Amino acid sequence: MRFRLVMFSCFLLACWHPAGAQKTAAKHAQLELLAQQSAAIPGRTLPLGVHFQLEKGWHIYWINPGDSGQPPVFQWQLPPGFSAGDIQWPRPEKMQTAHLADYGYHDDVLLLVPLHAGKDLKSNSRVEIGLDAKWLICREVCIADRAHLHIALPVSSVVQSDPGTEQVFANARKQVPRPFPARWKARAESHKKTFVLVVETDTAIVSSNPTSIRPPPAVDFFPLQADQIENAAVQVVVLGDTRVEITLQKSDQLIKPISLLKGVLVLPGGLPYRIEAPVIDREMPTGKRRTGEAPAAKTNPE
Amino acid sequence: MKTLRHPTLYLSALLILTTFALAARVGEAAPDFTATDSNGRTHHLADYKGKYVVLEWHNQGCPYTKKHYESGNMQRLQKEWTGKGVVWFTVISSAPGTQGYVTASEENDYAKRMHATPSAVLLDPEGNLGHLYAAKTTPHMYIIDPKGTLLYNGAIDDHPTADASDIPASRNYVSAALQEALSGKPVADAATRPYGCSVKYKD
Repeated sequence: MRFRLVMFSCFLLACWHPAGAQKTAAKHAQLELLAQQSAAIPGRTLPLGVHFQLEKGWHIYWINPGDSGQPPVFQWQLPPGFSAGDIQWPRPEKMQTAHLADYGYHDDVLLLVPLHAGKDLKSNSRVEIGLDAKWLICREVCIADRAHLHIALPVSSVVQSDPGTEQVFANARKQVPRPFPARWKARAESHKKTFVLVVETDTAIVSSNPTSIRPPPAVDFFPLQADQIENAAVQVVVLGDTRVEITLQKSDQLIKPISLLKGVLVLPGGLPYRIEAPVIDREMPTGKRRTGEAPAAKTNPE
Repeated sequence: MKTLRHPTLYLSALLILTTFALAARVGEAAPDFTATDSNGRTHHLADYKGKYVVLEWHNQGCPYTKKHYESGNMQRLQKEWTGKGVVWFTVISSAPGTQGYVTASEENDYAKRMHATPSAVLLDPEGNLGHLYAAKTTPHMYIIDPKGTLLYNGAIDDHPTADASDIPASRNYVSAALQEALSGKPVADAATRPYGCSVKYKD
């Protein structure tokens, strides 16, 4: 519906076609390469997005795919002077079966990639941007697929903004984890079998998101590195006013100590934060008190 | 907001945590098992003390398994290492009705067609062996040393893709670990992230 409205307004205004590219049909998915703005401005950032629309039940993967799977890989063909930034991964969903858990996306996801446009572009010229994308798409079974996507944009110092496209990019940015607030504190206490991730905030965690009180507020930790925590194990959450404590089971694959536990922390209301928690060794000799091994607490139903 | 206590949820969380405590950790004793192969023979891990044993989780329909079988990479590894006295078990944990599930005769036909020569193919449609080792992907590789200690747990190599053209440039972790162990060296990469399709367990 939004797409139709956009098309209609473009027709009236004889403006730029916001999609800028055609949809490419792939196995159980459609892809398109979107530009946030109507033109490339010399020397400025050009936000692009690779839009995956997946058939119901099918999913693709986050940068850390979890117990199985593989994240999409992009290889860009750019005009001279252009460079591509890293994919700005939206927060994933946890896709859990009885014994395994993967991290990825269902239905519809826009993977944002900031391009930097070259300085020496001739005005009134056009730039051609190509992308070879490879990805794994799975439901019960997995298919490795690939496609070539393409977009052409004029070079201009003036860009038109299309409300529909702006909204698509703004929605996608909301799902990209934000920096961890400087006034918050995080640490990961390392016990024999678990990490207890402790986060202290300077504002109330729940009351800042009144809509999240019912159903129970969800807290999730998504590990950025594989093989640190057991993906499918329940994350035991203790939620206080300005403090959240998450007990994470260590992975069997973790055989060397780590100094940082990196990942994405999702707080009630769905706000995702990037987190890098210094690891503090709390493994106690036998007989001493062990905190955090099995706190009696509310669990996160996800 | 006050901390809530939900005894039922807490209990189920503990049960799940307990289930996950059963698994295979490098440096610890490999879980013992008894399993039946595609020729009806029974294998007991303890009977292979004194030998290196490789476990290879397998699903013939998975693109990552195909990468290593259609290229002949897995068959080369099986031939090389069984030729040096290593016991190689291919394990199939796909449940009936899921991708990769095969009957014994279907598996024997496949192995013949693909020129696969593991020591045996263990059929695990109930997923017991898979859960005992917490096998996650196809392929997922384990090596057990002659004393019965787990020596390696993880990926087949360092290129987590479904693309066979990546194989020549890959470091094969299984060969590397066996070579290191056989020459008395410590295994450099003893635990890695396995990559591939999820094991298609019975729910």
